Amino acid sequence: MTAALLTLADSRLPAGGHTHSGGVEQAIAAGMLTDPASLAPFLRRRLTTSGAVAAGLAAAACRAVDDTDVVAALSALDAEADARTPSPALRDAARQQGRGLVRVGGRAWPHPAWAALPAQPHHPLALGVAAAAGGLTPRDAAAAAAYLSVSGPATAAQRLLAMDPITVAAVTARLSPEVDAVAAASTVGLPAAADPLLDLLAEVHTVRTDRFFAS
Amino acid sequence: MRTLVEVVARRDARGRTVLPVVRASGQLAVRRTGDGAVHLVATAFGPLGGDDAEVRLVVEEGARLSVHSVAAAVVLPARGESPPSRQVVRAEVAGVLHLAPEPTVVTARAVHVAELQAELGECGELTATEQVLLGRSGEAPGRWTGTTRVVVSGRPVLHTTVGLGPGAPAWSPPVAPRAYVSTVRVGERQAAVQTGVDAVRLPLPGGWVGTAWAGELHEAVARLAAVTRERDLEVAR
Repeated sequence: MTAALLTLADSRLPAGGHTHSGGVEQAIAAGMLTDPASLAPFLRRRLTTSGAVAAGLAAAACRAVDDTDVVAALSALDAEADARTPSPALRDAARQQGRGLVRVGGRAWPHPAWAALPAQPHHPLALGVAAAAGGLTPRDAAAAAAYLSVSGPATAAQRLLAMDPITVAAVTARLSPEVDAVAAASTVGLPAAADPLLDLLAEVHTVRTDRFFAS
Repeated sequence: MRTLVEVVARRDARGRTVLPVVRASGQLAVRRTGDGAVHLVATAFGPLGGDDAEVRLVVEEGARLSVHSVAAAVVLPARGESPPSRQVVRAEVAGVLHLAPEPTVVTARAVHVAELQAELGECGELTATEQVLLGRSGEAPGRWTGTTRVVVSGRPVLHTTVGLGPGAPAWSPPVAPRAYVSTVRVGERQAAVQTGVDAVRLPLPGGWVGTAWAGELHEAVARLAAVTRERDLEVAR
């Protein structure tokens, strides 16, 4: 089943993730992210907060597919996702990406659980359902969520700062053990790790008219 | 050492708030300081590493309760490998609860875990403020983790865990503040987003949550007030 996981985490899966920078665009504007040395701590910050939350929700959504009342289980998780994402800009970003993934995932891995998702679900929920539909485990869903929480932003930073792609790939690859650790830890319970800095960056970013990325 | 505080606020026949239960054991005492108002008083140094405190608050329909503390809580490490100290506040709110303790100062090597679990009824109102300072003046920062979960009529409206201090994964330069303040308010109309210098107010169903950070506590308080607009905080004090 590994190929399904690789497909799910592949940036070429047309789910719309490439239009989101995960706060990178605003962190650059704020002068917090300037080079590969400052990229790693920024990615780690994202990974251990929104990445951990996404991983937990994705794993739980993957498990919820086996629930007797899938609609209720996924709806409860969507409410938990909202409670963990008080920033409207970040909620919009999560729901846009969720909708994008439902569109491609529903075609790629047909499964009744897609119909049980709320309209415009948070992205991790769609990811969990995609994982279940693709025959993957909750741990796989968490791994994909944790990985995506750094891979997209890393690419955005590379594009915005015209950084050397090999250097950026190395920064991301070196985070692998931490990505694995976050994925493993997040499958128990539902993490709620928050970073008010990312909330602030997202809200300042969303009202800008000169931005390249949606978030 | 285990500490348990229990306060129940009830509306009497004349519409005033009475406190039929005011109990404390361990390192905190409770003093009635007004109609529907109590102050927590520390009866020992600390909290110390390993200490465990639970504050149970019940505010019945039509009642109002304000909970303050008389002084900052200075969290100290135990000798050697210090385990974390914990403080959990569990609140069931069908009336109005204001929770506004004095700041928590986490000294070097100390690790403190704070938790607020609030369950609100349909007409419940909550204002809860938190002020954290890592390290006393000139001292290395301690470590603080705070979780806030607010549930209204069975639906979660806010659930966040913020980690501060050396070793906390999202506490790293260039943004690694010594001072952090946060206020959550539920029971009014939903507020709009407001951003400021190192401060942000975010909407919640029927309220908002505001957060600010700075090098010093008074700066963080001022930054939070700038985005939450003044009197919301005054109400809680």
